Amino acid sequence: MKCDDCLNLLAEYIDGEVIAHEAEGISAHLIVCAGCSSEFESLTAEQEIFTRYDRELDISPGMWSAIQARTVTERRPVDSRPKFNLRSSLAGLFAVPRLGFAFSGGLAVVIIAVVVGALYLKMHQQTATPETVAGNHEPILRPVNKGGGAVPPVNPTASVEGPVGENASHRTTPKTAARLKKSDDPGVLFADVAYSDLTERDTAAHIQQAENLLRSIRSLQSSDDVGEIDVSYEKAMSQRLLSENQVLRRDAEAAGKFPAKELLGDLEPFLIDIANLPDKATPDKLRAIKDRVQKTEIVAALVSY
Amino acid sequence: MKRLAHELSLEGQPGAFAASLMNSSADLVARASSGDQEAFRLIFERYSRPVISFIYDLVSDRSLAEELTQETFVRAFRNLHALRHETKLSTWLFGIAKNVARESLRARARDSRRVELDDKSVLDLSDKAPVPVNQLLNKELNELIQRSLAMLDDDKRLVFTLKVFQQCSYEEIADITGFSISKLKTDLHRARSEMRRRISPYVRL
Repeated sequence: MKCDDCLNLLAEYIDGEVIAHEAEGISAHLIVCAGCSSEFESLTAEQEIFTRYDRELDISPGMWSAIQARTVTERRPVDSRPKFNLRSSLAGLFAVPRLGFAFSGGLAVVIIAVVVGALYLKMHQQTATPETVAGNHEPILRPVNKGGGAVPPVNPTASVEGPVGENASHRTTPKTAARLKKSDDPGVLFADVAYSDLTERDTAAHIQQAENLLRSIRSLQSSDDVGEIDVSYEKAMSQRLLSENQVLRRDAEAAGKFPAKELLGDLEPFLIDIANLPDKATPDKLRAIKDRVQKTEIVAALVSY
Repeated sequence: MKRLAHELSLEGQPGAFAASLMNSSADLVARASSGDQEAFRLIFERYSRPVISFIYDLVSDRSLAEELTQETFVRAFRNLHALRHETKLSTWLFGIAKNVARESLRARARDSRRVELDDKSVLDLSDKAPVPVNQLLNKELNELIQRSLAMLDDDKRLVFTLKVFQQCSYEEIADITGFSISKLKTDLHRARSEMRRRISPYVRL
């Protein structure tokens, strides 16, 4: 990767908004290029400054009371709306003499069209073999590359079900998943099925952020001669991820997605430990977490999700 | 706190407080939209802080931010039935908050409360050389960021706040603002440059 390309994408890289192969290119470039690496550090430092921004805002206890007072009279917002009653609506329409005949005629035509259409679709589906369906839809989960080209296809089952031994560059990141072809794609039905579960997508995004956090912790210098290390950014990030993790883990459990539940359960102690670090962590505290990250291979588990 | 978090997450026996945290947004929305005030209170507890921070960043006025946060949640309650299943609750709330804040900003357009950088009464750092961020008092840093933010134009401030402070993805920002991805990327890039330009005389990066 050239420096210009790297610098153009650096802010997006820090925001986690680049696709997998771009991220790999940038990571590799940052290792060898001092100039871009320095720019990366100053952007990260800038980000940390904004993390320290404290608006000193409090949620006053009176705020909820005021909201409650304003909403309590509207207790059942759904129920308070006039309910649609099919029977009375139809009766109303037929009761209008001028529309009665026209409407019933129109309704009959619509019903016939629906029945004929359903029969036609049923017959059409029966003629399609599983092979032809699979053949037609093989490339549907191909994420669209920013540059207009296509990146390698992704197995929809694998991306939903969890661990697979695929190449990291083929992994569907939440960002790439979101860039899936929209409704003009012939395979949109399969894509929709694969990603209809928003919790799954949230989980994938969450896991990627956690992965970045643990990588960041792992790369912090923690030798005794360094002194205290500022981990306020990582700490804030971990606090946010922790509450998200608890909700997602519960959702995964409720949905019977046990691999995801287990992974999130394994991740949680790390998030708790990082969230509870002081803003200036001592090297030994940091080292203890790093050692556990290393020993449990949690990053590898997150990557393979 | 540490013990509580540990109990919440590791033992698999969450208590009542944990159960409230574990309520998924979808469950809460379903319950709240059928009139369950307790579910709506949990939504308020979960999202009131990000919403008030977001509004404050847009209007730069503490009491107005409180008032508009209240209005945001009242509107949210009234329109919960309109929340589409696929829409993320936080994205939806930020969308309402943005509308509420913008309406308010329009209403007081003539009485602009933007703080000018040369207003010495708020912060007087202009005669000092840039210092490392750790040497800057929190109060000074907060004021510096707030003032720099207030100097951005509305679109840039909106995008910058959602990305940098609320950590929304580009797609979420596009949903909240209605901007195209390319516009929000451009605005974000320019907002970052402006913020850097305003902060760098005071803080050494």
